[in-house]
Amino acid sequence: MPNINERPVCHRAEDLVTCLYGEASEAEAKDFAVHLQQCDSCRSEFGVFQQVHDSMLLWRNEALGSAFNPAVVPVDSTVESAPFVQHERKLTAVDAVREFFSVAPLWLRAATAFAALLLCALCLLTVSRLWDRPVQFAKREPTKVTDPNTEPKYSQQDVDRAVQAKVDEIARLNNPKPSPKINDATTPRRSADIGDRNQTAVNLDQPKTPRRRGLNRQEREQLAKDLRLIPRDEDELPFALADEPNH
Amino acid sequence: METATTNDEQMVERALSGDPEAFGEIVHRWERRIFALAFGMLGREEDARDATQETFLAAFRNLRGFRGEAKVSSWLHRIAVNQCITRQRRAKVRGETGLEDEAEKNAAVFALPLDVSPARTAEKLERSVAVRRAVGALPPDLRQVVVMKEFEELTFQQISEALELPLSTVKSRLYTALRQLQMRLQKFGD
Repeated sequence: MPNINERPVCHRAEDLVTCLYGEASEAEAKDFAVHLQQCDSCRSEFGVFQQVHDSMLLWRNEALGSAFNPAVVPVDSTVESAPFVQHERKLTAVDAVREFFSVAPLWLRAATAFAALLLCALCLLTVSRLWDRPVQFAKREPTKVTDPNTEPKYSQQDVDRAVQAKVDEIARLNNPKPSPKINDATTPRRSADIGDRNQTAVNLDQPKTPRRRGLNRQEREQLAKDLRLIPRDEDELPFALADEPNH
Repeated sequence: METATTNDEQMVERALSGDPEAFGEIVHRWERRIFALAFGMLGREEDARDATQETFLAAFRNLRGFRGEAKVSSWLHRIAVNQCITRQRRAKVRGETGLEDEAEKNAAVFALPLDVSPARTAEKLERSVAVRRAVGALPPDLRQVVVMKEFEELTFQQISEALELPLSTVKSRLYTALRQLQMRLQKFGD
């Protein structure tokens, strides 16, 4: 490694920098070109200095902008002029996308392209469905009347009959037919004659049963007891109670 | 270096005679170069802006002391270089973060071309950080020559006039600076 404080290896160091920056005259440049072919140190230094010069230019262009030219005075600049360094680049959308794809790795580009295709397909599908829907509505309205396949299977009479049957069934459930025994020719009449108390007692026994069952023996006996409370002729009783204690 | 029909010396005369827009025109002509010089010397955008502002403030205050025998460009460059060196000394005394420490932070905001791969981008950023560090490690007398040559793109003659140095001294300083940079960048490459 050479010592940086040592003197130039070649006595033509000044000519070297003069030619490096292009300030040598034509004659000087030719003369130094001949010298470069003979002097290894100057030749190697010339190449290395050229690289240093390029690096300096790179730094300057990055720091001050590649368009920076110190000799150019901007026409519209003022005393408190605009900054020289252009840090912000206002990109258009297309430029931004292009920059993204330029710096993105291959897999990311492929994934982005796939996602974009998928999104387009979904959009197309959605749009097609939206277009189809009003058309279907428009077609269904007339076919509801004219198309025999879509006509109702039951006529109006059938519907009325079914409704009537249902109404009858509901009415039958709500107003069940009286038990034949209750409707007996004698018993209801007598029950009505006995009065509300007995009628209530009978109703309380079977208040909600849709059909009245026949009276069992116990009930008949109770009914007979109740009937005896009313003074009447025993002959009128429909049956005889032989084992009655007060008989 | 003249960018208009009215040269800088005439503009200074107009400013001295009370033309309020004359000094503004001088600033307008030179602010980019002075900023580039300050950025190359200091390595930080904020410091470069401050140094540029202080350079023109100092020039305005000392406008009456401007000697006509020197060029305005040389005068402004000397002021700017002195401002940068003074700022670096102050920063060193305060123990502030220097050029090297800020390099990585600023590297992230570099504007890079769109058509480069991430690996290439990272490599460029690392290379820029290395160059910045190498330039920052140069002695001030070598650094100012390199920065004036690379950042301001001044000719050897212009640098010689600005720094009031012999032409051969400018060239030898640049040669030495390039060798030192090459060695530091070689370390980075290894």
